[in-house]
Amino acid sequence: MIKIENVNKYFYKGEDRELHALKNINLSIEKGEYSIEKGEYSLLTGPSGCGKTTLLNVIGALDSFDSGKIYFEDRELGALSEDEKTTIRLNEIGFVFQAYNLVPVLNVEENIGFIMRLRGFPDSEIRERVKEVAAILEIDTKLRSLPSTLSGGQQQRVAVARAVAAKPKIILADEPTANLDSKNSKALMDMMRSLNVTENISIVFASHDKDVLESVDRVIKLNDGEIIES
Amino acid sequence: MYKLILKLAFDNAFLRLSRTMLVIIMIAVSMSMMLSIQGLYDGMTLSMIEKTKRSDSGEISIYAKGYRLSKTITNSIKNVSKIKKVLEAKPEIDALAIRIKADGLSATARKSSFSTMIGIDLKEEEHFGTFSEFLKEGEVTFSKRGVLLGSELAKTLKVKIGSKVIFSAQDSDGEINAMALKVRGIMQTSNISLDASAMYIDKKVLQEFLGIPKDAAMQIAIRTKSKTLENSLVAEYRTLEVKSFLSLYPIIKQMEDMMVIFNSITFFIVMLVVFIGIMGVMYVSILDRIREFGIMRSIGLSYKLIRLQIFLEALFLGLSGYIIGAILGYAALSYLKHVGLDLSAFADGMESYGMSKVIYGDIKLSYFTSTLLAIIGASLLSVLPPLRKIKTMNTIEVTKVET
Ligand SMILES: Nc1ncnc2c1ncn2[C@@H]1O[C@H](COP(=O)(O)OP(=O)(O)OP(=O)(O)O)[C@@H](O)[C@H]1O
Ligand SMILES: [Mg+2]
Repeated sequence: MIKIENVNKYFYKGEDRELHALKNINLSIEKGEYSIEKGEYSLLTGPSGCGKTTLLNVIGALDSFDSGKIYFEDRELGALSEDEKTTIRLNEIGFVFQAYNLVPVLNVEENIGFIMRLRGFPDSEIRERVKEVAAILEIDTKLRSLPSTLSGGQQQRVAVARAVAAKPKIILADEPTANLDSKNSKALMDMMRSLNVTENISIVFASHDKDVLESVDRVIKLNDGEIIES
Repeated sequence: MYKLILKLAFDNAFLRLSRTMLVIIMIAVSMSMMLSIQGLYDGMTLSMIEKTKRSDSGEISIYAKGYRLSKTITNSIKNVSKIKKVLEAKPEIDALAIRIKADGLSATARKSSFSTMIGIDLKEEEHFGTFSEFLKEGEVTFSKRGVLLGSELAKTLKVKIGSKVIFSAQDSDGEINAMALKVRGIMQTSNISLDASAMYIDKKVLQEFLGIPKDAAMQIAIRTKSKTLENSLVAEYRTLEVKSFLSLYPIIKQMEDMMVIFNSITFFIVMLVVFIGIMGVMYVSILDRIREFGIMRSIGLSYKLIRLQIFLEALFLGLSGYIIGAILGYAALSYLKHVGLDLSAFADGMESYGMSKVIYGDIKLSYFTSTLLAIIGASLLSVLPPLRKIKTMNTIEVTKVET
């Protein structure tokens, strides 16, 4: 589903390369590594600052990279226009951002339904689906609230709900359990697993959470921008 | 999906209420002021045109060839009653005024002035241009050798109602004759030359005084709504001079052109206000919300839809301003149209320039439609610079939170 070949990414300070954030990343059979496949349920892990978020952003057609190739179901991301990448993000990818990234003017219900609405799902289906995921994540009493009135953990669950509601092909979840207690965190992981099994949605987590580590099928370890184990 | 964009635009446009209200009020006030000024300009021109037509030329005037160059008794239209019959039979002609005129000297014991004696038929003039409405003082009557004086002429001669005036002029035999007249009324037509020199007396009295035939006249003025009449009359009366209002008063054509320029300038200024106002507010608002746009971009909202949202926001601002501005403007224009703006306090001399003390506005639908279009245009244009910010932003950078 997703193949990564020799990807390098730098962060720049002006003209100068400030940081080599991703170093020769390969996730592709041809390069002797397993690619990210349909039904994938895996974890990117590693110490803070090792490049987990950066790699998710690059895989998710959100950030650019400096060399190498990434194939998203045979489309080479580096060759796509900004509009084409936006369409892929909308229709095929569900992001859970480490910083939640909720739309501040929209309430919880509208935030969760945002992507479905952009994709043109009928109103009734959006309402049903929003209720369903909100109930699982125990935010169904907050549907009318604005994000700014929620706690960190609640916002995090809204961010997860938004990413999963439209049932994308792949969910890229950056620290989705970071602010959750173990009960909520378990409910979230159960939901993720069931989406993975019943809808065959691929899921890649980035996390240092033990609960996540224990539940995934595969662990990709990063250190200082390099894959050290996969 | 478009419902969502509409909601986002609407919520955001009114999210920061005080900022939003400020632009809306700015637009509304400048727009209503522009409408009032436009209405006044147009009302002024219109009233001047109307008064000139009523007091003198109508839409078309007929003279004998040569009369306008040399205003002598011999240069008169000869067979007036026949022409009158023909003209009266034309359905497109609403009213006629047939006048006799003679230049001469008017004098009191102490003052004298050049003046033009105009022989008129009061009933005819009333129908032609509600002559009695020009009365400033006294009565509209010619009884007992009565004369009506133009307001400025009355000032020059320092006469009041009841004063005596001697008018002398050359008759058809070349003799200088004089007659004593009594001032019955003072007329103010706002037609500069008439107010400065006209004396109105009964047509028959003037005819006798000048010794000219009953069938002669200096001017046949016509009121009509027809646009084609002038050409057909030109063809019909080749031996006479058929003149349209604008060719008789070219200065008014110039004034009309000036007004168009004035109006365009005010219009342009107001649009600039709308443009700058909305641009300022939208620029700040977009910078404020750049993270929000980054978020929406990153979860798949296309640039096109964001642009649509921004356009809609600007339109909400522009149109809210427009609606309030249109209501205020309409109220102001209605007031100006019905009550008028009384300038007498600080514009005593205005009348002598052909303007009335009280100027009345005009209301045209086109004021509102053209501002609507211009505000829509200015609103849309004003967000182009802030939109560049969104187009060129780096979504990762702008969504990053400082921790
Ligand atoms: N926009 C940026 N400009 C410069 N350097 C950056 C930028 N974003 C990330 N980095 C650097 O790139 C490296 C990888 O960052 P990244 O956010 O991917 O780490 P992470 O593994 O997600 O860490 P964490 O577990 O704390 O979320 C870090 O050293 C970080 O400082
Ligand atoms: Mg991270």
